[in-house]
Amino acid sequence: MDLRLTEEQRQIADSVAELLANASDSARMRRAAFELGGFDPELWQQVAELGACAIQVPDAHGGLGLGATELVLVAEAFGRRLACVPWFESAVLAAATIRAVGDESASARWLPALASGEQICTLDLGLLERAPLVAQHRGAGWSLDGMLPAVPAAMAAHWLLLPVQDGGDRRLLAVALDAPGVTRRPRDNHDATRPVAAVTLQGVKVADAECLASGAAAGCALATARELAAVVLASEQVGVAQQCLDLTVAYLGQRVQFGKPLATFQALKHRCAQMMVAVELARSAVLGAAREFDGRPAGLRRLRLATMARSLADDAAQTCTQEAIQLHGGVGFTWEYDPHLYFKRAQAARCWLGTPGEWRERLAVALLDEAAT
Amino acid sequence: MTNASDDAFRAEVRAWMSEHLRGEFDALRDCGGVGDPAYDPKLARRWEQQLARGGWVGIGWPREHGGRALPLPQQVVFHEEYVRAGGPGRLGHIGETLLAPTLMSFGTPEQQRRFLPGILAGTEYWAQGYSEPNAGSDLANVQTRARLEGDHWLVDGQKTWTSWAHESDWIFVVARSEPGSQRHHGLVMLLVPLRQPGVTIRPIRQITGESEFNEVFFDGARTEAALHLGAPGEGWKVAMALLGFERGVSTLGQQAGFEREMECLIEVARRNGAARDPVLRQRIAMAAATLDALRCNALRVLAQDENAPVSRESYIAKFAWSNWRRDFGRLAADVLGAAACLPDDDAVAQKLRQVWLFSRSDTIYAGANEIQLNLIAERALGMPR
Repeated sequence: MDLRLTEEQRQIADSVAELLANASDSARMRRAAFELGGFDPELWQQVAELGACAIQVPDAHGGLGLGATELVLVAEAFGRRLACVPWFESAVLAAATIRAVGDESASARWLPALASGEQICTLDLGLLERAPLVAQHRGAGWSLDGMLPAVPAAMAAHWLLLPVQDGGDRRLLAVALDAPGVTRRPRDNHDATRPVAAVTLQGVKVADAECLASGAAAGCALATARELAAVVLASEQVGVAQQCLDLTVAYLGQRVQFGKPLATFQALKHRCAQMMVAVELARSAVLGAAREFDGRPAGLRRLRLATMARSLADDAAQTCTQEAIQLHGGVGFTWEYDPHLYFKRAQAARCWLGTPGEWRERLAVALLDEAAT
Repeated sequence: MTNASDDAFRAEVRAWMSEHLRGEFDALRDCGGVGDPAYDPKLARRWEQQLARGGWVGIGWPREHGGRALPLPQQVVFHEEYVRAGGPGRLGHIGETLLAPTLMSFGTPEQQRRFLPGILAGTEYWAQGYSEPNAGSDLANVQTRARLEGDHWLVDGQKTWTSWAHESDWIFVVARSEPGSQRHHGLVMLLVPLRQPGVTIRPIRQITGESEFNEVFFDGARTEAALHLGAPGEGWKVAMALLGFERGVSTLGQQAGFEREMECLIEVARRNGAARDPVLRQRIAMAAATLDALRCNALRVLAQDENAPVSRESYIAKFAWSNWRRDFGRLAADVLGAAACLPDDDAVAQKLRQVWLFSRSDTIYAGANEIQLNLIAERALGMPR
């Protein structure tokens, strides 16, 4: 496996990193998080113009036709800047789900608008426990009733991909979030950079044409998208961890105690070095996983790669965000300094698409319980 | 992600190994190397010569020095398949991967003609004379003395932690050739024969109970005047260049060895019920995931241009793999349970017991954890000294 990056891949990563370093610097990111409800429409426009939403969308549907490697390179910058845009939800998770469904008319209907950023699509991740939805097929479509307590990006999104149980059958529906009967209410969220809303559905009508997949195909598409998205989410976590390392090294270089910069103390240098070990190993895991995903690996291999990326990156993010708070000392516990924003984001992201513990248990089943291969 | 010629090469290595690692060499299969009680050094020498006849020593060396100049991916494939086939620890490792590249860069044509063929043929073995009782992490504090007298160098002093010295023929020694010089100035790198009256080798018993490394005493030991590698006074430069050759393709062979150890651990866990313990399950899955990440990190290192400055992933590599293996050793002991301390005839369990103890050394040799963290902080993160 060759992990060298092409010139084009470097350029995509650099262009997004450069945009976000300015357009989502600490001040702008805080304004979007705390004054704009966690969504910066202007930034979304810029991100879309750069083509960041089109990465995995096939050429035929107005995309760039690129793969997992480009997605993870770009994702790191989104994590690093805590960019307040639903890039992960729409351009990664929803686009991957629609791609995995593989239905030509669904692709033609949604992917071009997702690629251009004109429409935003999200997915219910089932973050909090909820009562089962009632989906009843009536005439030419479904009628939905129920409450989804925590849907990411639901305020900004136009569409919600929703897996439902319809009698004995599983279906993946696309629900228009401006349809009659849909009510959205933003939730308090410690991670203000990735807003979540409660969505209530009362007799919401979903047309037959808005059913993307049924039965095993629906489950299969969701699983496939979930594994790819887990690797991309891991890359965001690497960005979170990297930024905390950089903030910490910079702070220790400035802060003088005992007559010299804190960065000269070996005990503190070693802490930073260990942060770097965690960051780089996680980055290697993410790059390796993405590169292998681009070669379309088999199911067990996908599980193993996603578990690797999530385990290493989630732990790196948790370690580095905690260390950033500690090594900043008193100011690390203030609202004014950034480490807490990263700390909260890292913790929230751990629970998306399965916790690291759940991924590891799935891997343990494959390694320890199933017949030896 | 492999191409057809690499696949054919892989098949060639596999076939050669299964054809040759048999008969008398069965006893060496899966042996760790010197210090493993099952390792017979005489047999190991014959195995090295067998490898040499098969053309498997110096596969990456340039042709002018008798190597095969195989491209990097094929060198990696060889190391992987060697380990997967149960190939034993390599007695010729120090000569082949450390001294030989240094000879090619700094040696005179006479030195190259004299020493490279013995390494290539598996007939001459080398030890590394760097550490001393007062020059461990602080290597520049070397006190061993060398003085030129007539047509010989005379060496006095002591080296320690000298792996495989008792099974080697020669040693490369960092010594102080300019009396009164300080730190990294005034050093010379000498090539010294080990089998002579002026050299005493005393094995050091390790926590495994066996001896893989030694103390080496030089008491008027002699070597020819021409056997300095690089100029006298520039020994530090040569010594550091040699360490630079240590990060190389054999990393992926080591990785393949770890993967074999992981298979052993899973086999024992399934057999003795440890696989049902929910805490151990999490730890085993985490160890497997991290091992996969180490492989990705090694591939990332290899993807770097050879002439590029040391990259971030290179800086963390040693700390990352050695700490993984140290943790893995403890996990192996926890999976073994009481059997960790109660040896039996089970070969797989025995391998895990060896890993448990041997892996204590991984975070100490070749730059201890604490030195690695200094390097990462100061060189990679640019924090002040």
